[in-house]
Amino acid sequence: MKISVIADFDTVVGFRLAGVKQGYAVNSPEEALERLRELVKKEDVGLVIITERLVDKIRGDVEKLLEKKSFPLLVEIPDKAGPIEKKVDPLKELVRRAVGVDIKIE
Amino acid sequence: MADLIEGVNPTRMELLKLKTKVKLAKKGHRLLKEKRDALIMEFFNILEEAKGARRQAEARLSEAFHALILAQASMGVLKVTQCAYAAKETPGIETYTRSIMGVRVPVLELQETSRSVIERGYGLADTTSQLDEAAARFEEALAAVVQLAEVERSIKLLAKEIESTKRRVNALENVLIPRLEATVKYIKMRLDEMERENFFKLKRIKAIMEAR
Repeated sequence: MKISVIADFDTVVGFRLAGVKQGYAVNSPEEALERLRELVKKEDVGLVIITERLVDKIRGDVEKLLEKKSFPLLVEIPDKAGPIEKKVDPLKELVRRAVGVDIKIE
Repeated sequence: MADLIEGVNPTRMELLKLKTKVKLAKKGHRLLKEKRDALIMEFFNILEEAKGARRQAEARLSEAFHALILAQASMGVLKVTQCAYAAKETPGIETYTRSIMGVRVPVLELQETSRSVIERGYGLADTTSQLDEAAARFEEALAAVVQLAEVERSIKLLAKEIESTKRRVNALENVLIPRLEATVKYIKMRLDEMERENFFKLKRIKAIMEAR
């Protein structure tokens, strides 16, 4: 299956150099969501790489879109400005919900 | 005391049925509890991996971005973009699913990402070594990101399964089993009471008969 990138221009160029040809440079989260909708419809996309900054604003819609599907997988990466500050660590939140206790990670 | 199950007749048949139900519920409860514990153990195993994977992917990416910026500085943004378009496509990923305690988690397998300069597909004459460096770094980053995607999805799926298993265990433990047991007790008491009543009735009738 194919890998796809939805990100800012530089990230798309970088992954293109690494051989990921399905790269979509987008300027706004709305545009990213639109692209993602199209990609979900395609059957041959196995992984979508998206930047945290884009996905943060459209998280609700994205989750709704991918909820019932096992593919594509979505992975959030930091863009060239580095990781963004998150209010809650998603991993920590998962642990808290699954195990019922707060566990210090790291 | 827990609530009774509504609409049960206090009969011997009903009692027998309920007793088998209690047994079944207890067995199910034990099995689910074991499943939950096993899932949590698996969860912690993968958690270890997930922690490392995210950190590694982020480190690889920041290296890659740094290399890309250097390449853009040495060759110009436009030229780098051109080369990026000329680069050959990777074969993509193979996907399977694997089962952890009955949870289907995805496995992603990336075919060989690291390529030699020649295999990448852009021309060598007018490109700098910084571009090669950037491409190599992004290839590494891609491998790390694919790994990260797999682990993060697995951990999410496991967490979901643990949650629902926990809910079922709790429902059995705190609602269904106490309710069944209370109903069994109620029926037993009713039956005993009826027996005593009958016994007394007979005694009483006998006494009346004898008195005549």
